[in-house]
Amino acid sequence: MQNRERRENAVLASPLVLFLVAILGFPVILSVIYGFSETSFTTLTSPKFNGLDNFRRVLADQDFWQAVSFSLRFGVICAVAQCVLGLFLAVYLAPLIRRHGWMVAILIIPMIVAPAMMGLMYRLVLHEFAGPIPYYMYALFGWSPSFLNAQNVFTTVVVAETLQWTPFAFLLFLTAYQSIPQDLREAAAVDGTRPWRMFRKIELPLMAPTLFVALFIRFIDGFRVFDNIYTLVGAGPGGATTSMSIYIYEAFLRQGDIGRALAAAILLFGSAFLLLALAQLFMRRAT
Amino acid sequence: MTTRHLLGSAALIAFLAGTASAEVTVLGWPGGPEETALRAVADLYNARPDVAEENKVDLLFTSRDGFFDKLQVDLAAGSTAFDVNLIATYSIGRYAPFMEPITLSDEAGAVFGDTVLSTMQFGGQQYGVPTDLSLHFLYYRKDLIDALMADDAAKAKYADIAEQYLGERLEPKDPAEWTWQDFAANALYFSQSVNPDSPTRYGTVIQMKNLLFNMMVFHSWPRSYGANWMDDAGNITVDSPAYRTALEMAKMLYDAGATPPDSTSYEYAEANAAFTSGQVAAMIQWNAAAAELTAAQPATSTFAPPSGPDGRFTHIHGLGLGLNAAAENKDGAIAFLQWLSTSEAALAYARAGGAPGLASETVAALAAERPDLVQVGEYASTYGFVMNGGTSENALSVYEAQAKEFTGYWAGTQDLDTTMANITATMTDLLK
Amino acid sequence: MKRLGTTTRWIVFAIAAFVMNFPVLATLITAFKAPGEVTRNPSLWIEQPTLENFAAVLTVSDRLNIYHYLWNSLAAATIGAVLPIALCFPIAWAMARRGTGRGVLFPLVVNLRAVPLIIFAIPLYMMYSALGLLDTRFGLGLILAVVNLPLALMLLVNAVSEIPLELEEAARMDGARLPRILTRIVLPLCRPAFVTTFVFGFITAWNEFLFGLMLTTQNAVPVTVGASFFFATSGGGVQWGMAAAVMIVAALPPLALGLIMYRRISWSMVTGAVKG
Repeated sequence: MQNRERRENAVLASPLVLFLVAILGFPVILSVIYGFSETSFTTLTSPKFNGLDNFRRVLADQDFWQAVSFSLRFGVICAVAQCVLGLFLAVYLAPLIRRHGWMVAILIIPMIVAPAMMGLMYRLVLHEFAGPIPYYMYALFGWSPSFLNAQNVFTTVVVAETLQWTPFAFLLFLTAYQSIPQDLREAAAVDGTRPWRMFRKIELPLMAPTLFVALFIRFIDGFRVFDNIYTLVGAGPGGATTSMSIYIYEAFLRQGDIGRALAAAILLFGSAFLLLALAQLFMRRAT
Repeated sequence: MTTRHLLGSAALIAFLAGTASAEVTVLGWPGGPEETALRAVADLYNARPDVAEENKVDLLFTSRDGFFDKLQVDLAAGSTAFDVNLIATYSIGRYAPFMEPITLSDEAGAVFGDTVLSTMQFGGQQYGVPTDLSLHFLYYRKDLIDALMADDAAKAKYADIAEQYLGERLEPKDPAEWTWQDFAANALYFSQSVNPDSPTRYGTVIQMKNLLFNMMVFHSWPRSYGANWMDDAGNITVDSPAYRTALEMAKMLYDAGATPPDSTSYEYAEANAAFTSGQVAAMIQWNAAAAELTAAQPATSTFAPPSGPDGRFTHIHGLGLGLNAAAENKDGAIAFLQWLSTSEAALAYARAGGAPGLASETVAALAAERPDLVQVGEYASTYGFVMNGGTSENALSVYEAQAKEFTGYWAGTQDLDTTMANITATMTDLLK
Repeated sequence: MKRLGTTTRWIVFAIAAFVMNFPVLATLITAFKAPGEVTRNPSLWIEQPTLENFAAVLTVSDRLNIYHYLWNSLAAATIGAVLPIALCFPIAWAMARRGTGRGVLFPLVVNLRAVPLIIFAIPLYMMYSALGLLDTRFGLGLILAVVNLPLALMLLVNAVSEIPLELEEAARMDGARLPRILTRIVLPLCRPAFVTTFVFGFITAWNEFLFGLMLTTQNAVPVTVGASFFFATSGGGVQWGMAAAVMIVAALPPLALGLIMYRRISWSMVTGAVKG
């Protein structure tokens, strides 16, 4: 029995594993070699092993830590904001959506737009002389805030990211909310449970796994943010909007420091892997 | 059956590969007049009777976004997708290891002149044929400045503002005589935060986004105060009174509200949008913007950037075409590049809308059709400069690092001493 | 009382739709403005509506062919969205039910999403070059599938664990073997999750830019890269009107997918009820 299960598991895992090995095997091995070598674009075929040198340089780099801090703050704030808003919209609008399905299509438009293009759109929309927002601000108040200066740029990119990706959380919650068995709600309603209590005691616990998944996905996506920030403000004045992805991208392609870029990527992957592996272990113990 | 099928497809692949290498594929700068001009000269070249069928030129254009990042990957991975590719002055050093030096036609020296040819040289060797030259103009609203100069009350106010911010009473002048002090005084006078009666909201637009091209626009300023990247002995000289003065003046203008508060996110498109809206009195911008800016604000005039104690300067850089070391049809590619450096090709390129930097004798033939090229050629030869180290292997990274550090200072996230210490350290590392 | 609640809901919907879609709305309006009007008139009112931007985008020229880019994106994004579902479904079941690969495979795949995969550009380029996959829709589709693996795995594991165990056990009592249980019981119940995963994956793949840029030159250029060809068509800076028009055109196919999907969502509501 044990043996058969093991064989079955191997068969079940094989498509994914084989695909990963075929596509990423060679790139990953080469990249790990580069991570431990002195490599630039001219020495791709003759990387010089230099041990942990790249890792030391990354860890001593102030910009790296600034990028880590930016990405963590950005990821957490955006994930929470998106999930709160998405959950609210899904639950609050569900009765309407049940009758008017097209509403979903309207609400998910933002996430359909390519993030790089969304960044470009904000460049236009927020422009003091060509953008409608400053235009109406000036028309109404004779004044408009500076959306992208050093003080405000973080808030602006957080808001832009949240507005674009709240639909993602909304869609996950909507599906989860709609798959809650109707008889549970009916039973509670017969008992005279008020809507808010019903939400807290019955619906929310049933949606908990989805809530967890949504928070996690939105955090990862916020953490690795690249396109929209890059097209909107680039690395930011003094590197103020340098996310982890932007840091790695610039080190890799712009500065040609392949060793450092890959060391940073390996550190990122390694720490994320450890965290998630521990979380999985912990959850399995708990159940 | 299967074997025959395989053989068939192998033959097909060989056939396709064969046709691909039988042409000269040229990777050009996409969009804009450069593309139009390259198409025109390629047609001209292909129509020549002495060009064999297998040496005809086929053009390839990709995206402007990430163009140089893609080119970097293509070259480093030994791509054979093109035989000839675009290079720029600031990136020659980076791409040279994957390219081959070329010999130009005998007349090239007379056609382009040595200054322009040198924008395509690295390590003493010629890596490309110069095609387009970029430099900077001072764009200003003649209507506004004429009105200012005709109004005594306004002149007095101008002098007051200059005294308050710059420490000396300045008079409005014709922009052709401007120093950077005049530029700053004008920028302040035409800003509503300084002068509530100003007809424009801002006196100037400084492009302060953390982007390497913005550093090129900025460089004419410190250079006119004597700045250079390094001296002849190879010592990094970025931490100089010249750089400090220019950086401080730019920050003063930003803090005073003489350039939009969002300037720290402005690049080419944003600055043009600000100028064309009519809310800006004068700015330094690429020569390529001339048509767009003049079309939207007909009173726009142009001149070379203002002067400083060391004279008047404009940062120049060139685009050109060079030979991919992994090219499959090298002979064909070299033949095309040599032809491209003849006066026949250069003139055709200019007539089709390109902006080659041409020697004065060459450009004389075009004076009637392209007066702007005469101006570009004149400014390039009189005021043009490339920083010491500006064509080195890491020049691109130097601009990148400066963009990060200088914009950090302007935005107020770090002070000037830190900025100077950081950039000196980085540049010492990059230019050693 | 009930009617008041409905009205408030409509108002909330209207505000959310307006605020979240504001940049898209502004872009749509910009697309109908003539080039000179964009900077002269930033308001949401169009003085002289024009179709010239769209006409320019939809015209096939020597170099620009939007239909070709759209077709490339459609092909590559479909591969990039379907393949991960096929690859992840079997192991997702094993992970959810037996904990297989929870310790290594799951975090390994999921964390691929956190790393900018573009660092693999060079080795991938070399490998693709050797295999003849450069500048092909299939090659691009494969790497887009890699990009989508993490999301597909997470969503499918989540979906399987939400299926009541009793259904599978009942089938097992009846003597059904694993393949039969997977195809007859689990697969149909996962269909809503497949739809969601496909839609998310398709949109992500459709919108991917960097791999599209690096791994294609002519034949397989996707629409995100192709769109950027239009931005600078008359030199120098961004041509906002043209850029806006091409962005709108490029967003239409995934938008159509979204519109079709909302029916799917109402449909999944029904299965949700059956499930309970």
